This record gives sequence, C-alpha cells and structure tokens, in this order.
Amino acid sequence: MDLSHSFTVPTPVDATWAHFQDLGALAECFPGATIGDYDEQNFSGTVKVKLGPIALLYSGSGTFVEKDDQTHRFVVDAKGKDKRGNGTAGAKVTLSMQDADGATDVQVLTDLNVTGKPAQFGRGVMQDVSDKLLGQFVACLEKTLSEGPAEAPAAAGTQSVAGTSAGDEAQGEPAVVAASPAASGGEAPTATGGAAPAAPAAPRPAVSRPAATEDDALDLGAAVIPILVKTYGPQAAIALVIAVLAYLAGRRR
Amino acid sequence: MIPAPFEYLAPTTVEDALAALAEHGDDAKILGGGQSLLPVLRMRLNAPEMVIDLGKIESIRGIRDDGDAIVIGAMTTHAAVGSDPLVAEHAALVSKAVEHLADAQIRHRGTFGGALAHADPAGDLGAPALALGAQFVIAGPGGTRTVEADDFFVDLFETAIGEDEILTEVRIPKHTGWGAHYEKFVRVAHQWPIVAVAAAVRVEGGVIAEARVGLTNMGNTPLRARGVEAALVGVQATEDAVREAAGKAADGTNPPSDLNGESSYRKHLATVLTRRAVVTAAGG
Repeated sequence: MDLSHSFTVPTPVDATWAHFQDLGALAECFPGATIGDYDEQNFSGTVKVKLGPIALLYSGSGTFVEKDDQTHRFVVDAKGKDKRGNGTAGAKVTLSMQDADGATDVQVLTDLNVTGKPAQFGRGVMQDVSDKLLGQFVACLEKTLSEGPAEAPAAAGTQSVAGTSAGDEAQGEPAVVAASPAASGGEAPTATGGAAPAAPAAPRPAVSRPAATEDDALDLGAAVIPILVKTYGPQAAIALVIAVLAYLAGRRR
Repeated sequence: MIPAPFEYLAPTTVEDALAALAEHGDDAKILGGGQSLLPVLRMRLNAPEMVIDLGKIESIRGIRDDGDAIVIGAMTTHAAVGSDPLVAEHAALVSKAVEHLADAQIRHRGTFGGALAHADPAGDLGAPALALGAQFVIAGPGGTRTVEADDFFVDLFETAIGEDEILTEVRIPKHTGWGAHYEKFVRVAHQWPIVAVAAAVRVEGGVIAEARVGLTNMGNTPLRARGVEAALVGVQATEDAVREAAGKAADGTNPPSDLNGESSYRKHLATVLTRRAVVTAAGG
C-alpha cells in the first residue's frame, strides 16, 4: 500500500533538513517515545501508545538506506514489533524537501507492509490511536520548528485542553492526551516547565495540505492520511509502524 | 489467545476498590462485566498488572426510583436494565437501546456503567444517556461528584472519569410519558451499529412538543442532534413533517470512514435513521 502526503513548514529548507537530522530531538516530540541507539545510518526506539482500554508498547528500528544532503532527500526502511509479539510492520519512507520561497515543502511517500493480529472494537479504532499520536507529534514539531519569541503567549494557552474541551464541539481534532510523558526536555521551546507537547489547539504556523495520491481503497488510507499529511520526517517511520499495526488491529470485527 | 498474567482483586466496597486503584494506579484496570476489557486482555492490547473486579460490590448494582430520576447502579447488567419496569416507564429510550444491544450473552454479563465508562463511540448507551441528559455519579479519593452527560464524553474511549475514580451510578431524569425509539443500522445482527439514532419525543395532540435526539457512531463521542431537536418542536408527528427536521441530523458531524461505510454514507444514514426513530417514537 502506498501513501503520499505533503506539508509545508515555515523554515528554510536547510534549517528544516538540519532539524530532521536530530533524531533525539525529534523523538521528544513523540509522546511516550524513546530513541535508543542511533547513528548516521540506523536508529531504534520504542513508542508507548495508550488509548482507552488499549496500552501497547512497540519497539522498532530503522535504517537510512539513502540520504542526500544536496537534494534533501532520504529513504528509511523501518520495521516495528509489538512488545508482546502481536504483529509486525514494515514501512519504507521516502522523504524529500524543496525550497518554497523561504519555507519548505516536504513530500513523504510511504510503502507499508503489515502482518499481525486484529482487535475487536466498534470501529477501526487503532487508526485513532495513530491519529492521536501523530496529531501530538505534528503539533509539537510545528511548535519546535517555528520556535520564536512569538511563541510564548500562545504556549500559555495550550495547557488546559483535554478534559475540559467537551463543549459543543465534539468533532474537532483529536484532543491531546492529557498525560503525555514529559516530552519537552532538550530544546524545550517554552518556559512551561514540564509541560506536555503543544495541544492541537495551539496556533499552527505551518501550512498542511493533503496530497491526493492514494491508489488503494483500504481504509487505512482514508483514515490515516489526513494525519499523515501533516507528519514530518524520519520519525514518521515509527509512526507509520504504529499506524500499520493499528490498521490491522482495526480491521477485524 | 491467553492474556498476560495479572493479579486479581475483588473488593466488596467502593472504598476498597478506590484504595486498590490508588495503590496500583496506572498498572490497574477496572473490570465491570468484562465484555470489553477481557477481549482487550486476550488480544494483549493491554496487560495491566492488576485487575480490580467490581462484581462483588453490591451497592452499585440495581435500579431505584429517586424522585425525579431513575438511578441505575454502574454494575447493573444490560439485561436487568432492559427488563426493568421503572426504566421502561420513565426512561423508555434506555430500554429500547438495551433491547438490541449486542447479544443475549453480552447483555447478561455486560454492565450499564461499564459500557458507558468504556465509551466506545459505537456503543449503544451513550446516545440515549446523552439525549436524556443523564448524570454520572463518580466516586474518587476526594468523595463523590456528579458529571452532566454533556461533559461526560470527552473523546474516543475517554470520559470525565479520572484515573483514580470509579463510575458508581447513572441518574436518568424521568421522561415519563415520552415516546422513544432507538433505530440502529447494522449489516449483521448484533454488530456494532454503523450508525444509530436515539430519539425521545413528547407529543401533545399530535404535535411534537419536545424532542431529544442522540447519535451513535457519528463521531468520537455520542452526539446530540440539537438542530433536529429544535426543528422538531411544533411539528406534526407524521413522517412527512418529520422528514425535514431529520434532514439536519448530520449537521456539524464528522463521522468516521471505515470498511462498513464512508463518512458521507454515515451522514446520509443519520438523516434516514433519525426520521425513522422520531416517527416511531412519536407513534407514527
């Protein structure tokens, strides 16, 4: 199954490219994620996913099979496995960046292969797991990438959300999970000490737009693309691993 | 498949259950009737170290009349709710929804509070509870609090119940004399509804005086179709008259797409099922 997505970030292409080289920093944007060993070529890590009754721990690894600093393009082969052996997934992610008048257009192509055990829920719920996860990841990345003085007031407003957002707008973006592990170490962008990553309600400086190519009728595409559209970088590999396991899990009724 | 090993505790009071929950925190899961948790454990989609079974807590089982509300204990089985005359008289919408909830085995094991706390967006109880303005009584370390239905369903599988809290009772304001119907669309029997609509109406002299409409599986949480409710007031309780109001059922919703149907299909279904539910509820 092939998926295609693209998005634009407001930083110059070289800066964006540089940011994507720092796997450790990127991983901090992933709630529950840890990057284990990594070097120029390989990385490994784990991601903890929690949604309602589900709590999963995936471990995975990836390899940069191609990386071109000149054309700003890389290809990652990633595979992941649930800690308890419920399934495996593989993804080949090709990411390329192009200058767009000082901003950066990012294009991501993903080829997914999955095996595993499905689960029984009212709907393809595991897609929603990846949805939540990716939503947080992207929001955090956008914040990190567009970091600047203007960020401070916005950040103050990003905390309250979960739990109080039931209101009349039940349909918005997935709310951020309240208790994400302390994710803002390292180059923590703002002074909200110990704060969780930015909620999606935070202003979104980056422009995301869906790309239309998807030749497969499988519902993973339909459900996950809107999120993946906004996904960044090599950590997308890990994310996709989850999305894929998730997809499988969601299919059985 | 066999679940990962876990410890098991079956306290006999809510206080003991809360204490156990406080002690084990994130490593514990609350077991109601087990109709959702056990499959998750068997699939190893979760592996808590401690399972706290509420099945031996008598105080949160059963149904009682509390003046202006019917109170359903969280550990009351669906079967008990479905056959209860008090519920049938004062909260008929709940009886109707329970009638076709899953299958008979699940109705005899699964619990009213468990299903609501699980908050599956395709679950059959959320929409009726929301439509009737249920109140959720939640016990925690600091005592008991009551949460309105509008605030209870937060997101997919996420409710206002905190990590250290337990849902003990659901209070359903009496809707005595209201007509009610739960219209559920499934591809095969006792499937999760692809879409379902819970409707309760109060009819006076052939005209709808008040209406409550809840939607199942049209988003991450159950939804109130307030546009429909408003449009139904003063409308003749006939199919043609209801049709126009029901056309607003999907307004503002963003239902999921999956193998059972696209989002747009669900939106269409919502309008059709709303019409049927309201007409049936109104006795038309």
